Amino acid sequence: MVEHASSYSKDGEDKMKKDNIFKRFLYSQKTAPYVFVLPFLLSFCVFWIYPFSSTIVMSFQDIQPMGSKWIGLGNYKKLLADKVFLQAVGNSVMYMLLTLVLLIPFPLLFASLLDSRLVKAKGIWKALLYIPSLTSVVISGTLFRMMFSERDGSQFNLILNFFGHDKIQWLKMYPTAYFALLLIACWRWTGVNMLYFLSGLKSIDTGLYESAEIDGATGWQKFIYVTIPMLRPTLIYVLTISIYAGLAMFLESFMLWGNGSPYNIGTTIVGYLYRRGIEKNQMGYASAVGLVLLIIALVINMIQLILSGTFKKEES
Amino acid sequence: MNKKFLSTLLCTTMVASSLFGCGTNTASNKASAKDKKEEPVVTSFGDKKGTKLELWTFVGQHADFYGKMVEKWNEKNPDRTINMKTTTYPFSDMHTKLTMTLQSKKGAPDICDVEAGQYPNVVKGQDEWLYPLDEAIKPYKDTMVESRLDMYKGQNGKQYGAPFHIGATVMYYNMEQLEKYGITQADVDSVKTWDDYEKLGKRYVEARGEKGKFFTSVDTAGTDWLTIAMAEYGEDWTGGNKKNAKPNVKLKSVNKMLEYQQKLLKEKVAQVSTDGQVDTDGGIADIGNNTIVSFPKALWFMSRFKDKLGADSGKDQTGKWYIAKCPVFEEGQKCSVGIGGTGTVVTKQSKAKKLAADFICFAKMSEDGEKMIWNDLGFDVCNTALWDECNTDQDNFYNKYFRNKPYEVLKQIKDDIGKVSITKNTPAINDQINSTTLNDVLEKGKNVKEALEEAQSTIESDSE
Amino acid sequence: MDNTMTKIKPNKSSKIGGKTRSILTVLSTGFFAILSILVAMPLVIGFTASMRPGSEMMAQGLHLNLNFKEWMLDNYVYLLSGNEDSIKFFNWFKNSLFLTLISVIGTLILCYFIAYGLSMYDFKLKNTLFFIVIATMMVPFEILMLPLYQEIINFGLIDTTWGVVLPGLCGASTIFFFKQYMSSLPKELLDAGRIDGATEYGICLRIMLPITKPAFAAMAILTSMGSWNNLLWPMLIYKDASKFTLPIGLNTLLTPYGNNYDVLIAGSMFSLIPVFIIFIIFQKYFVEGMTAGAVKG
Repeated sequence: MVEHASSYSKDGEDKMKKDNIFKRFLYSQKTAPYVFVLPFLLSFCVFWIYPFSSTIVMSFQDIQPMGSKWIGLGNYKKLLADKVFLQAVGNSVMYMLLTLVLLIPFPLLFASLLDSRLVKAKGIWKALLYIPSLTSVVISGTLFRMMFSERDGSQFNLILNFFGHDKIQWLKMYPTAYFALLLIACWRWTGVNMLYFLSGLKSIDTGLYESAEIDGATGWQKFIYVTIPMLRPTLIYVLTISIYAGLAMFLESFMLWGNGSPYNIGTTIVGYLYRRGIEKNQMGYASAVGLVLLIIALVINMIQLILSGTFKKEES
Repeated sequence: MNKKFLSTLLCTTMVASSLFGCGTNTASNKASAKDKKEEPVVTSFGDKKGTKLELWTFVGQHADFYGKMVEKWNEKNPDRTINMKTTTYPFSDMHTKLTMTLQSKKGAPDICDVEAGQYPNVVKGQDEWLYPLDEAIKPYKDTMVESRLDMYKGQNGKQYGAPFHIGATVMYYNMEQLEKYGITQADVDSVKTWDDYEKLGKRYVEARGEKGKFFTSVDTAGTDWLTIAMAEYGEDWTGGNKKNAKPNVKLKSVNKMLEYQQKLLKEKVAQVSTDGQVDTDGGIADIGNNTIVSFPKALWFMSRFKDKLGADSGKDQTGKWYIAKCPVFEEGQKCSVGIGGTGTVVTKQSKAKKLAADFICFAKMSEDGEKMIWNDLGFDVCNTALWDECNTDQDNFYNKYFRNKPYEVLKQIKDDIGKVSITKNTPAINDQINSTTLNDVLEKGKNVKEALEEAQSTIESDSE
Repeated sequence: MDNTMTKIKPNKSSKIGGKTRSILTVLSTGFFAILSILVAMPLVIGFTASMRPGSEMMAQGLHLNLNFKEWMLDNYVYLLSGNEDSIKFFNWFKNSLFLTLISVIGTLILCYFIAYGLSMYDFKLKNTLFFIVIATMMVPFEILMLPLYQEIINFGLIDTTWGVVLPGLCGASTIFFFKQYMSSLPKELLDAGRIDGATEYGICLRIMLPITKPAFAAMAILTSMGSWNNLLWPMLIYKDASKFTLPIGLNTLLTPYGNNYDVLIAGSMFSLIPVFIIFIIFQKYFVEGMTAGAVKG
């Protein structure tokens, strides 16, 4: 890939001699952006347009081995009456909201603390907080399933025992199941979000802090008036990603229940899509589920992005 | 700094490529040279010059079994030798990949193991996706257990899957533990009905009188008990393997069994199975710890004793357990049913369909194959012609492990093995029963009729 | 540019007394220590479990066994002993590492260029393209899987690393992150570069790339996380068991016949080591970052 980058300039040199017009075209400020985004355009055309349009087509079909039947809005109509689907949407939205509350402010705070000079041995903490996200899901799933097991010796039942409470079936009831889900989410994602913020903090011009200090700002004021506004692009990114990731959560639930939870308490939109499309092989119906998710996520995020002005043209 | 960054990237790439060579880069031709070194990973069996067949499975032991069978096949059929490549995939993902390749009409293997629960998804393709085995099965058909073959038929009546085992349900008893509390083998043998079973359980639990110890356990994440009940009454909640079959869970058998289980729980004869059913880590731990001393399960559960409760587990159960017929609700009913299993299919995309079909039937139905299935995998084989031989085999692990010989029990129940179909309705039924109904009835003590009523309406709306 | 250049709040100590400051330091360092211990707990438990036989885990569930006398290295010895299981394991491991490296390097470079184009210029298609980037980010992969799989077969990329890597190279979330990051960087740098006679591509590579490093580091770690855990897609594309990656392999250890906890837990603990090393390498770049001098210069 590095060669790729240098071949730009090498090609450029060869052509410079031969074709001045082409060179000027390629190097002009008007053409450059298109050259930059070309890989995306290519990948979009090759790997997106066809799969995405066939997904849309499939969502209007009943997919059968002997050929597919066109059923119009049948899948969507069925979807609206599907209790499990509606429950899954509820679960996903709930999860998304809770993770927004937990996984944005706290990592931001941790990142700012880590960025300050108050904390010693930063490298170790960063590495330790980040390790969960790089742990294979197979293993962290096994570990958490066992820790939340209904058996006597499971770690969370031991904690209950310590406080004199009987063992409970953690993964069979809504509140405790959500506790488990959120705990896993925090465990896996705190470090990641912290890292986004940390790298965002690095893009802030330190001169701003210096001038704030000259104006006599306290640490907290600097955080509110310098850090937060300057971190806005990163915040918007984390928000957008978290909204989608929350709505599309499946792995955490799969880690605990393997996609078959009692009373569907752990069934999410993508979990349901997986069950329909893959376990029951109803690709048409699953496509409809996926497109509904796309619409929900896109609407929420577009509102958020437009309100935050991310689509506005920057003035220089 | 720019240069330093790039050089770090370059260094990592270089270290990586020197570590790995180009072996993993499939685009390069060097791959084949490297592959030779990794022979243990690519499992290819048989005659290198033979017809190439590809087989997918989700269990390492099955792959080993097929490998041995290929050698045997090649010995017997020098003119039709096979070179088999087997690949073991993760369980659920293998089925995903298989249906995807079938749907795409490209990329499927010649032969594939399909787990019974996933079978409806695959068999719905019938001739479009699969190659029928009816021709290849002929030499063995007369002595095969009919009800098991039926499980793997398409709606058009053609045979698409070859079974490993019957999966006949039996009742397992921890005799050593029962004897401690004065229950003899004769007592166990005299259990004919579920009422008898309940009485025996009460007797044991009262004699033991220990909190947290039970006679048996009932499942909230498995339908085995209910399937047994259906077989007894000859009912089938899927409506059978027919085109317009309607699912119906409001059956007499299901109702009776659930109410019976509620009674067992109330009397503290039974607990709710740890982790939802017996065939889980928690369930097996309960068996090893004598938390429960009896449970109904298919004969293939024997292999769990070998793998998880064998000599090196610290919970060795050798010589403790006794296998008996399952009780019935009314005397004279069928007392067993085939559950679980793996149907092996030949795909239509195979370039050597006939060879693949002949091989699969040889591996899974011939004398050589069945013996190996019994000795290596511990299954109750479908070919009844071999039962006597299996029974007398003194070296067999299971014949030594249990107090009685498994095939003795099998011979007793031979004509009493019922059938509950696995059809396109099954996933919807299982979803609802496992996620909601069983929890409602067994954990929360909900009225059985109401719970089934609710289940029925959900399942109907799901399977439209 | 010096890495250790002083950056934030150089004269903070002058405002807060030395004592308060050191108390705050102890408090916040202690806080991170506790947090890290809590976060590491499941893995510590997993590690102690890996020091006991797998059958114990099956029988008793997970146990935090801190009795060092009972620890044994059998599982690790087994894993490293060169038997069939260990050859398999290291093959999965190697494949995963290779795949992760390829996709991380490829993704970072491509996404950086794309995001640079999207954030540094004003052009006609800009907002449309950005919308497409956001939209593609929100389509669940599971519904695209079947048609994409068919496409890969038709391209003849089945069973190749290209087939696994190519569709994900222009990762929308990576582009988005780079774009957001760059939008907070001062655009005057571009004009300064142009005045100095640098070409558009020269500016991108020589001026902007160095100050985007923290974003590279974050994305390197994020992309490697995705690639390291990617199960479904590599499994669909690879047909040859010798190409299987760690997630595929580890999942084959969890079978209906019983779980091979011996290899599973020991192997997973072992596989954390290179991941940790990669992290340590890249986290260095957070320490550098952009300095005040770079902007003013």
